[in-house]
Amino acid sequence: MSTDGKRHGRHGAVMTAVAAGLALVISGCASSGSSSGGSAATAAGPGKPAAVTVDLTSQGCQPKPAKVPAGEVDFTVTNTSAGAVSEAELRTADLSKILGEQENLTPGLSGGFSLTIQPGTYTISCPGASQPHWTFTVTGKAAGPAWQGNPQLAAAVKGYAGYIKQNTAALVSHTQMFCQAIDAGNLTQAKVLYPQARVYYERIEPVAEIWGSLDTDIDGRWENPVTVASEFIGFHKLEQLMWQDKTLAGAPKLCRDLVKNEQQLLTLVGSAQYSPLEMTSGATDLINEAATSKISGEEERYSDTDLPVFAANVEAAMEVVSLLQPYLQDKAPGALAQIQQRHATVTGLLADDKASPGYDDTGYVDYSAVQNSQRRQLSAAVNALAEALSKLSVQVSA
Amino acid sequence: MTSPQDTERSGKSGPSRRRLLTGAGLVGAGALAGGLAGYFAQPEGAAGVVLGDQRIPFYGTHQAGITTPAQDRLAFGTLNVVSGTTAADLRDLLRDWTTAAARMTAGQLVGEETEPQAPPVDTGEAVGSPVSRLTVTIGYGPALFDHRFGLAARKPSALADLPPLPNENLDPDYTGGDLAVQACSDDPLVAFHAVRNLARIGMGVVAHNWMELGFGRTSTTSTAQATPRNLLGFKDGTRNIKAEQIGPLEQHVWVGGETDQPWLRGGSYLVARKIRMFVENWDRDYLQDQENVIGRAKTSGAPLSGGTEFSTPDFAASGADGQPAIPADAHIRLASPEHNGGTRILRRGYSFTDGIDPQTGTLLGGLFFIAFMKNPGQFVRLQRSLAADALNEYIHHTGSGVFACPPGLRPGQHWGDTLFT
Repeated sequence: MSTDGKRHGRHGAVMTAVAAGLALVISGCASSGSSSGGSAATAAGPGKPAAVTVDLTSQGCQPKPAKVPAGEVDFTVTNTSAGAVSEAELRTADLSKILGEQENLTPGLSGGFSLTIQPGTYTISCPGASQPHWTFTVTGKAAGPAWQGNPQLAAAVKGYAGYIKQNTAALVSHTQMFCQAIDAGNLTQAKVLYPQARVYYERIEPVAEIWGSLDTDIDGRWENPVTVASEFIGFHKLEQLMWQDKTLAGAPKLCRDLVKNEQQLLTLVGSAQYSPLEMTSGATDLINEAATSKISGEEERYSDTDLPVFAANVEAAMEVVSLLQPYLQDKAPGALAQIQQRHATVTGLLADDKASPGYDDTGYVDYSAVQNSQRRQLSAAVNALAEALSKLSVQVSA
Repeated sequence: MTSPQDTERSGKSGPSRRRLLTGAGLVGAGALAGGLAGYFAQPEGAAGVVLGDQRIPFYGTHQAGITTPAQDRLAFGTLNVVSGTTAADLRDLLRDWTTAAARMTAGQLVGEETEPQAPPVDTGEAVGSPVSRLTVTIGYGPALFDHRFGLAARKPSALADLPPLPNENLDPDYTGGDLAVQACSDDPLVAFHAVRNLARIGMGVVAHNWMELGFGRTSTTSTAQATPRNLLGFKDGTRNIKAEQIGPLEQHVWVGGETDQPWLRGGSYLVARKIRMFVENWDRDYLQDQENVIGRAKTSGAPLSGGTEFSTPDFAASGADGQPAIPADAHIRLASPEHNGGTRILRRGYSFTDGIDPQTGTLLGGLFFIAFMKNPGQFVRLQRSLAADALNEYIHHTGSGVFACPPGLRPGQHWGDTLFT
């Protein structure tokens, strides 16, 4: 089981400011945001943020160093003894806009702010000092605009949040129906409802993985990563009971716990925030999942219901593409066309495995009946799709 | 490098059986001048045929191939003792293996060729190849100490099959084994030749269980070596225990007085794991995320907490966003001694490939992980910590083995002596 999403969410609180064509992402001490979402901060490189110290004195606020490379910059402002000066501001060179500031520093206090900043000349201002304006220079290559300033990206992120919530809610309700069949002792019906509930999880999995242990409790497989029998719970334990052990003994409680975990996920999803980068890397992850654990039959090893969840991975990845389409049409029409073309290939191959009503009413054939030659075709097609999707991250970041 | 076949190519027809059998003239003067030799070259006064001159001593306190600066290539085989074998047969085999390993690591063929009417004693493919620091290291699997050979009372209590571990889906065809042979050399043919010939010598007593070839070391076992990269493109083994670190070796690698089996003192436990990497998925992850998964910068190898490759990772350091500079689920954090009560192991792995996955058409390859340690529990602890490893998205353990490697030998001793008496 992956813990991939945790990394995407590791940047913590963000809030944004857009001024005079400069897109800034301000975080840390100057921010009051507290969401669990990720940041799309476009630092110039993967290196450490530049550290700038500003000592407030009655003479002024000289930044040290006065020149940094573009990217994330951490300002530390300290007032040791300047009674008449209590704040430092980062302004545009013409002083018309404040881009970041630390106020209310009485002698003895320190504070700071962080932001991602584009190349250019700026001013550090400290009202009340004998020299209140100091030049601050940012060198290097321009960082791209942050996504919040782009209405198409902002709309895509909003749409994605809605899609995730909707599918998580559907996951809960379909799992409840699945549990009802289990409670009624109807094994045949439970087998039909199992893949129908799974489909919703397979659409939101990259997000669910942000909360690693919850993902394991819902979707963990034996030895992947669960190796303690008592910790093997959730969908795949139920799958093992129904298909391998052919029993529902113990299943009602497992199913109730599964629903509880899903409800917790629904609560968490309700307050999660996303970025375009998380959307695109999540889409790639979905296809990676399809390419590895579904093609191999590893994920649904007892039930062989891999095809509907494979299709769910692909659908959810393409939902991301569809949400980003207005943006990509202008920004990366070639990449978009390639994805659409490769998706059509996958859809065509999947159509060969459709059946009505199909294996356990899934709409598809039993995956164990799909020959290696067909699996390889499908694998080549989804790998090609994932490769095309992986090129989107840089498009939505820059 | 001249071989009989090279010489034959200049002839009008293919290799002639008669010429091969009598072929004193097959290896030209040029080859001999290079210190190389063929099957039947038999130079005057040559007591043994020297294959090359970069040799690692076979005899010593510990077996070679553990702290030996990691060679570039690996051939690793596990073998099972066939049914009907007696303890005496097994002891004889270990004696024969010792003799053969001592010869091969000295750059000699496993035997001289003197009988034209007999199959050659040595299989011959390494003739003309320099010995290239060949080492041969053997280990005993847990099953060797069952009822079959009267060894139950000599079984070290720490030697047992590994428990189920996170992120594994073991293929029985790549798991276990009564005996393991690790051959390492800078020349792949020389390493392969060693395993092949030991298996051949053992035919009727042992049979191949599984085998893997490694092409490219992924660990550094000496401070004199530069850190190599694994198939993820990252430097691997930066914080490995090095041959020069005598204290850590005693503490973490060599079996000492703590064992219940004195015969194993000075030996070590070998854990082998065949780790498949889903390289296609990895290759499409963006750079910054790859670095967060590992916890190091891809190019420099420096930890994300800053510094250079060999800077000690600062796991407490925060980034500007207040989050850990080395993420909580980064591979180097979860595998670190700091995270595991000081637990360390000596890694000595290699990249491998088995070609293409017949089911998916994707690359079947990854890391053939080998590590040496004082007690297999060290690996178990680390692997359990790695249950939360961000890297698990991209890797899967598919093969496994654990072996007790006896200590080194003095000239005149053989492996069977130390095991049985």
